[in-house]
Amino acid sequence: MRRKASLVLLALAVFCTALSPLVRWYAFPRLAKIPASHYQTMVLEAKPATLLDYGTMRAKKVDKVTIVQTLKGNVEESEKIEKRVGRDVVVWDGLSYVQGPDGKMVSKIPERYIFDAHTQEPVHAAGEMVDGDRVKRAGIEFKWPFLTEKRDYEYFDAQARITAPIHYKGTQNFRGVEVYYFEQTIPWTKVSMPKTMPVEGITPESVAETGTTRWYSTVRKFWVEPVTGAPVYGEEIHKEELRGGTLLGGRDRVTAFAGHVKMREDYIRSTVDLVSSQRTLVMLLTSYLPWGFLGLGAALLTLSLVLEARGRRPGDPAPAGQRDPAPEPEPVNV
Amino acid sequence: MRALIAAATGLALALALVLALTAVGSPPGKTSPKPLLTTVPAHP
Repeated sequence: MRRKASLVLLALAVFCTALSPLVRWYAFPRLAKIPASHYQTMVLEAKPATLLDYGTMRAKKVDKVTIVQTLKGNVEESEKIEKRVGRDVVVWDGLSYVQGPDGKMVSKIPERYIFDAHTQEPVHAAGEMVDGDRVKRAGIEFKWPFLTEKRDYEYFDAQARITAPIHYKGTQNFRGVEVYYFEQTIPWTKVSMPKTMPVEGITPESVAETGTTRWYSTVRKFWVEPVTGAPVYGEEIHKEELRGGTLLGGRDRVTAFAGHVKMREDYIRSTVDLVSSQRTLVMLLTSYLPWGFLGLGAALLTLSLVLEARGRRPGDPAPAGQRDPAPEPEPVNV
Repeated sequence: MRALIAAATGLALALALVLALTAVGSPPGKTSPKPLLTTVPAHP
């Protein structure tokens, strides 16, 4: 009976011990994924801000500029691309909608971001764009990979349509969550006019005819929870200028927008809550289950060996297959 | 010999379980009917 029990325990011990690396290195990359149907909104505010008055073409101080950012997972498109590339893909249709203090639209930039559901690497497919312009992203955008490392990453800037390093600047505690702080500086860069302008009758083409160009600079800051790779907080010191051309009435440059953009307080709280709960799920696959199974496997193996040893008390006859062979009969002389 | 069979059984079961779980995966869900926002939401 003890022998049977020790064999069952041995099987369970091997089962648990084998599950430990299988969960961490086989199941985790296949199960920890951004859901294709993910929908998320974010509200950021710049208080106060500088905004261009298109009536006078002069910059003016305003109390607040609000940026509403929506990311919407497009399941149908992701399934189409998955069939072609043979891996799980997420397609995010996004919109950055900027609203002035009077509630009127300042700009709206749509984009489509396609990426690997686990590694966060960009996937290139038809439809990948920023404000209607086809782009080929390199690096990450919006989110870091699971198990973010303490190193610089390449981050895609949708305004400038370029990829530049975002530097790891240290580990901090943000509202009880351990986070990695990243910072990226985009120096003054000439960028294209938004396809949708805030004033009716003005188009990117009509502005281009005046010779006026748009320039942009930003310092982007992210506080990233490293297990999930999700930013729990973000800020941006954002500046835009119109330069040259006849539109500015002889002036060299005019500020189109300037402000220190920060996440709204209620969104910070909800993001921290969401990320904390997701962190537990990821930890389950990367740490809790692998270590738990390993410990359980070791305990079961010990128990199995103890039972086996007790089953073989000294003086017990050895099992049939292990008995010494009977001695050869010696010839007898008569 | 019986110990070897027991260990192999445990290993096979672990492999089968993980392969089955990863093969099933998670359902893709549906595209949210919610719009891309052009108004400021009152709360998350």
